[in-house]
Amino acid sequence: MIYLDHAAATPVSEKVMRAMQRYYAEDFFNPSAAYLPATKVRKEYEAAKDMIAQVIGAKGVDLVMTSGATESINLAFRAAERRSVLISAIEHPAVLANAKVAAHYDEINVDKFGRVDLDDLRKKISPEIRLISVGLASGELGTIQPIAEIAEIVKAERQRRVSAGEGNPIYLHCDASQGLGLVEVKINRLNIDMLTLNAAKVYGPKGVGALWVAHHVKLTPVVFGGGQERALRGGTENVAGVVGFAVAMQEAEKHLSAEKKRIAKLREILKKVLSEDEAIVFLGNPKRQLVNFLPILIPVIDAERLIFKLEREDIYVSTGAACSASKGEKSRTLKAIGLSDEEIAGSLRISLGKLTSGDDMRVAGELILKAVREERDRLAGSNK
Amino acid sequence: MCGKKVFLGMSGGVDSAVSAQILKDAGYEVIGVYMKNWSKDLPGMKCPWAEDLADAKRVAVQLDLDFRVFDFEQEYKQKVVDYMLAEYQKGNTPNPDIMCNQEIKFKLFAEVAFEQGADLIATGHYARTDGANLLKAVDENKDQTYFLYRIDEEVLAKTLFPVGGMMKVEVKQRAAELEFAVAGKSESMGVCFVGEANIKDFLAEFVEQRSGEIREVETDRLLGMHDGAIYYTLGQRHGLNLTIGLPYYVVRKDMEKNIVYVSQDLNNEELWKDEVGLRDVILRGYFGENTLDVEVRVRHRAVLVSAKLNRATEVLEFAEKQKALAPGQSVVFYQGDKCIGGGIVE
Repeated sequence: MIYLDHAAATPVSEKVMRAMQRYYAEDFFNPSAAYLPATKVRKEYEAAKDMIAQVIGAKGVDLVMTSGATESINLAFRAAERRSVLISAIEHPAVLANAKVAAHYDEINVDKFGRVDLDDLRKKISPEIRLISVGLASGELGTIQPIAEIAEIVKAERQRRVSAGEGNPIYLHCDASQGLGLVEVKINRLNIDMLTLNAAKVYGPKGVGALWVAHHVKLTPVVFGGGQERALRGGTENVAGVVGFAVAMQEAEKHLSAEKKRIAKLREILKKVLSEDEAIVFLGNPKRQLVNFLPILIPVIDAERLIFKLEREDIYVSTGAACSASKGEKSRTLKAIGLSDEEIAGSLRISLGKLTSGDDMRVAGELILKAVREERDRLAGSNK
Repeated sequence: MCGKKVFLGMSGGVDSAVSAQILKDAGYEVIGVYMKNWSKDLPGMKCPWAEDLADAKRVAVQLDLDFRVFDFEQEYKQKVVDYMLAEYQKGNTPNPDIMCNQEIKFKLFAEVAFEQGADLIATGHYARTDGANLLKAVDENKDQTYFLYRIDEEVLAKTLFPVGGMMKVEVKQRAAELEFAVAGKSESMGVCFVGEANIKDFLAEFVEQRSGEIREVETDRLLGMHDGAIYYTLGQRHGLNLTIGLPYYVVRKDMEKNIVYVSQDLNNEELWKDEVGLRDVILRGYFGENTLDVEVRVRHRAVLVSAKLNRATEVLEFAEKQKALAPGQSVVFYQGDKCIGGGIVE
């Protein structure tokens, strides 16, 4: 198998699985129970949260553990209290869906690489805006957003409101689902108010996420329950999942710079092979792109057909974000960077990761080119 | 034959997938088409059209076929769904699959296909044709002519049914040999546009619930309440919300008063008829006489029974008494292997 869809899902590592195992049948106790074995589990759970937090330069108590990024995003949007919100034009559907239930929402334009237009942000950051949400990196293009610069603009607006005596707070939320483990994510450097983390994209278990929340942010519960997670997210703690997440985060941090270099090299190999076909366009700006992303555009070709061809060779790639692609809707991200419907149909998202090796790159590259040639031949034949 | 263009309706199922291979082997230029029909998500039930579309396309790609999507959502809603709802509201029991074949698959699809250069169309139905006649499938148990009796003759003349000469088991085996991803896929059940939905849940979305009485037909005794006479079909045994004693059967509906009449007596005379009045009768081919000896099927897969059709009065006389047929249901006529037409119960 040559797996080139790490942006959609990552395999759980051996080490993470081993760390989790113990909490299913052995140390299964409810962390809220009073007896010693349970209090031990409670301590281990808190320690796991601290481990996760430490990687982003935060404290465990400021993390709200959730069932994944979607829930974290839902919680973050509680801060907006359904007032005016501002999101980038290329956010994940979960962010868009939350924005749509706000009283008013607007989108910040992006350039042809998918990077947020800061001037447009300055224009749209009106006194009514309660929450701004921009992803750390695009899930389709891998484009890394200038979060710190966005935070500066938010800070200036916040100061303006204070001096003007306006009471309306403004928060910045960043969905870091994509990019964790491939770029350094430190809250003090990003200068944000809330950060969404997702275990499933960093070789941790699915169904585990977190929202880091700065002290000044006022939130209301996303799941009402027994008071867990600062009463913002009720329900017995997912101890195994959070422990797995912690180990995955540690692993990611430990290998970050080596893995970044390794994957960047692999991407170059694949890019070189694919460059043999002069029609193929590489999307995004490689200088500001997650190293594991190689989104491409093959004019006139139906990329979905390529997926079905490549799956027969045991090669797995994707078109756009998995969520929107499966519903037959056109990618909003690719539309936002100015692609036509036909160009969107010809777009393939290749994303590398731990499972990728150098040999894979050459094989995959050649087979992608072969599939493209076959498709062109078929099209030429039926036009006769 | 070589080089003729066939537009094949591909549903994402096994039958149309194998049809594609058969046509390709026969030397046709095959264009796979997925018809996107109207669909509505109901709570707890998802119409699987997106998966079906992907399954169909996957097979087309595997066979290196051109593949297109025809979007018939609007037309389907108008011609099939609205018809179905209107019929139910009249107290009838319509068959949307028959309507779908008549109006969509063998009309609209054919029209668009021919417009786009098709010489022939094809579907994965279990039926056969010699060009002029609609013939039963070789696999009698799978025969789908019941659903096809109303399709246009001119379209039929340009239609191929590649699996109509095969047994279902052969088709499945072929799909497995060809390593089609859909080889093990289970057959879709229920009304196609609501996925696995219960027809009652579907109707409840559109029709206001009106509770009414359930009465015993012999005694006029009030037995209980129902939530809409439209949900009940003549002869139906289940769903009467009656917990006492022997099962009851629906023998009559008073749509105006919203009353459902039932009986415990399966031999109740209202349940057994020796003739039935039809409407919208169509006959395939030329018949000189006014009365025709036919065999009829009163529902898909029902046993064939002998009957006499009076063409002038559109009354069908059974050789032996039959359990009452619900208005709106189709009765389909056969002579030997030929499906010669049918009509809708008045």
